[in-house]
Amino acid sequence: MSHLEKVFETTDLLLRTEHSLCPGCGEPVALRTILELIGELGLRERTICVAGIGCYTAFPMIMDVDVLQALHGRAPSVATGVKRVRPDAFVFTMQGDGDMVSEGLQEVLHAAARGEKFTAVVFNNAVFGETGGHMTATTVLGQHTKTTIGGRDRERHGNPIRIAELIAQLDGSAYVARAAVHTPSGIKLARQYLHDAFRTQLDGKGFSLVEILTMCPTDWFVPPDQGPAFLERNLVPIYPLGVIKH
Amino acid sequence: MEREIVFTGIGGQGIQLMAKVLAQAAVDAGRHAMLFGLYGGAMRGGPSESTVVIGDAPIEAPPIVPACWSIVAMHPSALPALLAKLRPGGLLFANETLVDVALDGRAVVPVPATRLAEESGNVMGAGMVMLGAFVAHTAVVPLERVVAAMRAALPPHRTRMADANAALLARGAERVRTAQHAGAA
Amino acid sequence: MSERALMEGSAAMAESAVRAGCRFYAGYPITPSTEILEYMSVRLPEVGGTCMNAESEIEAIGMVWGAAGCGVRSMIASTGQGISLMQESFAELANAQIPIVAVNMCRGQADYFQATRGGGHGDYRFIVLAPASAQEAVDLAQLAFHLADEWRNPVMIMGDFLLSHTSELVEFPAAAFPEPSAKPWAVTGANGRRGITLSPLGPPEKLSTDIAAALGAATAKHAAIRAAETRAETAHLDDAELVVVAFGFPGRFARYAVRLARERGLRVGFVRPISLWPFPRDVVATAAQRARAVAVFELNAGQMIEDVELAVRGRVPVHAIGGISHDHSGFGVGPLLNVDYILERIEAVYAA
Repeated sequence: MSHLEKVFETTDLLLRTEHSLCPGCGEPVALRTILELIGELGLRERTICVAGIGCYTAFPMIMDVDVLQALHGRAPSVATGVKRVRPDAFVFTMQGDGDMVSEGLQEVLHAAARGEKFTAVVFNNAVFGETGGHMTATTVLGQHTKTTIGGRDRERHGNPIRIAELIAQLDGSAYVARAAVHTPSGIKLARQYLHDAFRTQLDGKGFSLVEILTMCPTDWFVPPDQGPAFLERNLVPIYPLGVIKH
Repeated sequence: MEREIVFTGIGGQGIQLMAKVLAQAAVDAGRHAMLFGLYGGAMRGGPSESTVVIGDAPIEAPPIVPACWSIVAMHPSALPALLAKLRPGGLLFANETLVDVALDGRAVVPVPATRLAEESGNVMGAGMVMLGAFVAHTAVVPLERVVAAMRAALPPHRTRMADANAALLARGAERVRTAQHAGAA
Repeated sequence: MSERALMEGSAAMAESAVRAGCRFYAGYPITPSTEILEYMSVRLPEVGGTCMNAESEIEAIGMVWGAAGCGVRSMIASTGQGISLMQESFAELANAQIPIVAVNMCRGQADYFQATRGGGHGDYRFIVLAPASAQEAVDLAQLAFHLADEWRNPVMIMGDFLLSHTSELVEFPAAAFPEPSAKPWAVTGANGRRGITLSPLGPPEKLSTDIAAALGAATAKHAAIRAAETRAETAHLDDAELVVVAFGFPGRFARYAVRLARERGLRVGFVRPISLWPFPRDVVATAAQRARAVAVFELNAGQMIEDVELAVRGRVPVHAIGGISHDHSGFGVGPLLNVDYILERIEAVYAA
């Protein structure tokens, strides 16, 4: 064992401690991808993250960048205030589907329509993770949650919202894409989309949004190793991957 | 000593502008002033009232005064309710074109403001005639200050009215002086 | 250098805020606070600031949160209804110790509880200042930004329709309070230091999780604020048999009525709390010690009277001489804003 080749290391921006999220959760790898890009693009000293409320609210204390913690649903208006007074800052929001699409839908729509020059990242796992598995506005039809025990039903619970497509319709959005982190190639694409969204902001072109489908095996009621397959089978058909607007 | 002046009339008569110009002229003359207008949503024809208080120190009176030193009545509609606030010996200025000046034997300064404005070809300027008469009679502020404040108060789309308004202010002042001379003679 | 001008209270307050270094404002139009939004939309761009005509009160307070979190002096205004929508953010801004100035141009005075108790969750307090003239609005706007930074706590200025719309001669002081040069708590980008987290949920240091300590730090200062920041105007207390307590612009009507009562030979004194929180409890208590009775004039169903009763502690009777007062507009300019009426009530209580 005299010649060990380094094939992997985590970014310096992720403080060396273990995250506290569930086994099989997709959010940590999405966060690491974001922080790696911030490091590579040399943005650390300019970065202000505006965090929403969800499982990922555990991240601000392990991310070595400045974070402004917002209320549930309110990150887009808070990020608007930040970017307007600090136009040279690199500003991104971190929200879940419950935060952005359920609680704060109006916020993200208006921020996009105004063309606010920050990047919105939404981790979409189609469920309220932190509360223990309840229906959000993106829960897909047929999906079992604690408030849709028999599966989400169109008549009783309404239909899921495709936030990326909604944002893409607004004139102020400049870049919109959807990725998923359930496969290595998916993570690679997520990284590409995030990069392009960040560049959109840095070039002053307008609002950018990347929706990232993430696994939540705990609240999908499946074993951790079956999260990726569940995502592929249930979420990808409703939330197609790819660049939606650029 | 605080002087409370209540302007009353209907929308379109320039009530709010008269009060604003008087308050601004008082401030420009180095005095303290307070101004509060009350008017409904109707831009024309609805009741319109404005209170100005002028003093030599920060104004103590609230903007809705319990009693006043003078009333300037451009229209009779809201006048009866207001008269109770006029202190004994207080001055009532009445636009005699529209207001019946035979009021309970009170001392009234009659000014045919609407008629004089009409004769000048500017019926909308009746308020300026009355304001000119008011300052000439009371001397609370010099007329020149009022003219200057009027010019400054006009919004951009009305600045072409400035010279005509100045003439109306002078007309009102002249009317009072003539009447005073006639009274003295 | 100071300047004087005849200005409406709302415009005077807004101008004073700009002179105090306010560079960000967000608002949603609602009577009678709209004039501040209109003024800021013209004035802030002139000084390199930003005014946002937000799509809702909730988004407006979010925007102010973002700007203030960056260390920029920021202000928001609304009336009680709109302020109700901001309460969740108000509570957490206080917990996160982010200084903002919030203006409530109330419709009447029914928002006393909302302002002094707060409509949000948790242990928070706002410092609340209530001006009674355009000049005091100017002075308290300067003070509000200073206190917000000094204590790292939101400050509310409580006005009403009359304050907003009455024009008075105001003088702008040269520079009452300089803005702090360093705000180490603000998020700026982690330049030359570790990243920080500005949050109501915990301390700024990374990897720390002591929520109780963070909330403790946000509330431990309340006692010090009570001791240092109590303000009140008083008149004729030396020989007062009856003490009239009133606040804000309606307090000016009460003060005038007290003056008229004095002219009629009645020994009536006057207390006007300028800081509603902290409430000038000692001032009221001391005044009540020498009096036979206390009368509270406020345009609501009886809110500040509870603070007065807490101060008086049952020593003398406390009478309500105000009440709900509205005209058809609902903006709070009602029939009780009448010096003669207040004088009658004072005389009745005095004779009792």
